[in-house]
Amino acid sequence: MRNYQDMVFSTAARLTGNDTQAEDIAQEVFLKAYQNYSHLAASPTAGGWLKTVATNLSLNHLSRYRKRWRFFSEFKRENDPADAPELEFAAPDTFFTAVDAEDRRAIIDQALAQLPEHHRVPLVLFHFEDMPYDEIAKRLNVSLAKVKTDILRARTAFAKILTRSAAARERITF
Amino acid sequence: MTPSPENEQRLARTIDRTLRELPARRAPRSLESRVLAELARLEALPWWRKSFVHWPLPARLMFLLLSVGLAAMVVIAGIWGGAGFEALPLRSMFAQEFTWFDNAASVYHAIRSFGEIMLRNIPPLWLYGGLAFIAAMYAAFFGLGAAAFKALHAPNNS
Repeated sequence: MRNYQDMVFSTAARLTGNDTQAEDIAQEVFLKAYQNYSHLAASPTAGGWLKTVATNLSLNHLSRYRKRWRFFSEFKRENDPADAPELEFAAPDTFFTAVDAEDRRAIIDQALAQLPEHHRVPLVLFHFEDMPYDEIAKRLNVSLAKVKTDILRARTAFAKILTRSAAARERITF
Repeated sequence: MTPSPENEQRLARTIDRTLRELPARRAPRSLESRVLAELARLEALPWWRKSFVHWPLPARLMFLLLSVGLAAMVVIAGIWGGAGFEALPLRSMFAQEFTWFDNAASVYHAIRSFGEIMLRNIPPLWLYGGLAFIAAMYAAFFGLGAAAFKALHAPNNS
């Protein structure tokens, strides 16, 4: 368990954007692993199995939560900045220059948590889980076009948050 | 101004690199103890509260036999009913054991008659007032739900 707990927790935390929920999901993953201990103990793919279960449980959790609030979340919010049309954002080669590794990790995780769920989840599935667009669309039960648009917008929003946070951190450091 | 494809690709590469370089987050120290405590709790559960595969063999066999017996009874009752069921002999056979059922039925009918009399004699104004009160409560709880959504959930998603 000790070998995999960081990976399982990270997967859940990045998808849910919430540490408490991620800990609950990680606990569930290891309970399932215990039930399948006889298969997993000597399996070279135990890590992959745990990651897949963590991803599935996180997506199930998000889907349950979304359904619970669907009635109210369907009220269209005016001027939602997350759904605004894209503006040109000059892509930098790197977001960090004078930020150490630990601060960098904290900034990135905070930036991910700040993204709305419909941006964060496809972005994490695409960049961390190597899931192709069509697979993401199938898993999230949305159209392929929506997944592509959401990932595109998520990247821009994520880059803006990172640039702002990194600049603020550098100012504090100096 | 819409983003250019070159810029989009550069941004995708930069973000991909940034995220892939990210080390795994450290799991909370409490995770391991939580998992172990939950395992101990599950182990301590009596067999009938665990899933069917964890039941002892005799209990599983008994359960299967009971299920098959119940299914057979339902099928026989269905056939019996379809062929024209004579209730009177059974009713007289079990009359003594089921006297409580007749008493319960009398109480039910008395309550029902009382309710019908009340309903006929309630002034219409009270009925409309009651309906209006229910509608107002529904609207209030709806508003509370919307406020709770905005306060607790929506800020995370905007």
